[in-house]
Amino acid sequence: MNAPRTIAEYLEQLRAALRGADPALIQDALYDAEEHLRAELADQPGRDEATMLEHVVGSYGAPDEVAEIYRDQEIRIQRAIRPPPQPPRRSPWGRFFGVAADPHTYGALFYMLLVPSTAIFYFTWVVTGIALSSGLSILIIGLPFMVLFLGSVRVFSLLEGRIVETMLGVRMPRRPPYPSSRGLPLMKRIGAMFTDGRTWGTLLYMLLMLPLGIAYFTLTVTLLAVSLSFVAAPVLKIASDMYRWQTGTCIGAPEWICTGVEWLASWSGAMTLCILGVGMLFATLHLVRGLGRMHGQIAKQLLVRVS
Amino acid sequence: MDDSASQLKKFQKELSSGTVSLVLLAVLGQSRQPMYGYQIAKRLEEVGEGVLAGKQSALYPVLRNLEGAGLLASEVEPSVSGPPRRYYRITKPGREVLREWVAAWNATRDSVDNVLQGGV
Repeated sequence: MNAPRTIAEYLEQLRAALRGADPALIQDALYDAEEHLRAELADQPGRDEATMLEHVVGSYGAPDEVAEIYRDQEIRIQRAIRPPPQPPRRSPWGRFFGVAADPHTYGALFYMLLVPSTAIFYFTWVVTGIALSSGLSILIIGLPFMVLFLGSVRVFSLLEGRIVETMLGVRMPRRPPYPSSRGLPLMKRIGAMFTDGRTWGTLLYMLLMLPLGIAYFTLTVTLLAVSLSFVAAPVLKIASDMYRWQTGTCIGAPEWICTGVEWLASWSGAMTLCILGVGMLFATLHLVRGLGRMHGQIAKQLLVRVS
Repeated sequence: MDDSASQLKKFQKELSSGTVSLVLLAVLGQSRQPMYGYQIAKRLEEVGEGVLAGKQSALYPVLRNLEGAGLLASEVEPSVSGPPRRYYRITKPGREVLREWVAAWNATRDSVDNVLQGGV
């Protein structure tokens, strides 16, 4: 690798050295490097970029050294944000019921229940923002408004990243993309905001959240309610026996339906429902954990995709 | 020869992984004003080689981790001449942790010195 001569070259080499690492890690590493390099450059205004970079390779580290340091650090961060790995369960039963001991399951479950509120907020914000900026674009305040709006979208992108990392356990960036277009004229800087794929990715994500969020929520709540009510069937049976509820009445229906209803009202019916309910409950937990993983990947694709 | 050099490098790395957090916290604990990453790196450069065997790029992830743990707080400020900078300052829990860490460090250093001087 030849020595970098400009900051852009250095960052490009760092990006290349980090190829294959987590996109969130790359974003953080590039942010730190750019901050340091620009501070170094501003510290001694007399020096040109190439001399400064020669010095920096000694102090801050050459791109591949920096990449190695960040990879090392990342292993430690991963250990810190991930709970200790579960002992692998070999038997199919262990794997099926083990889902209840996985903290990610509950994180995902909570996320699925929380998601409609954030989704509605994001959707309203984006739709209002787009409508107002296009409506105002014929006036002088149109452009400043749009820039403000896109700026707010970036903040929400970072915030959503934190939520996703905490609840779904997917590594997301801790720093925003570095405002690397500094020093360019104002109009160019605004232009960079529009050509950045992440801006549009985030807008798409926020719109997509509403249908996705409603689907997640409905699915989770319905399946949980049905399986929990099945599990509770024996309790209902005890109550109905104790207070002598009229459960055996089946009038005016075809014979086979009445047989079914009477069987459900019996003890064997209640126990069968209960076992079925337990099975469904764990299947639901599996589904929720799977949905959480899938959503984490969607978020990563749309919010941190590296250009 | 090459083997002992790599052993030394490994030892320095292990040594610094614990001390870097302490040193960063201490630097920010002594400073009256919030400092940014580059400033901290320069301050440590003046102190000498020993503190940071590695490269300055190792500081930034540690700063971020300390912030994540609530021991530091940070904010970005635009500067008049130059790029926007992220300023770090120590938090109240950070000061308490620093006090405990300093005590732990002193105890460790004393006992290591004792062993090295054959005082056991």
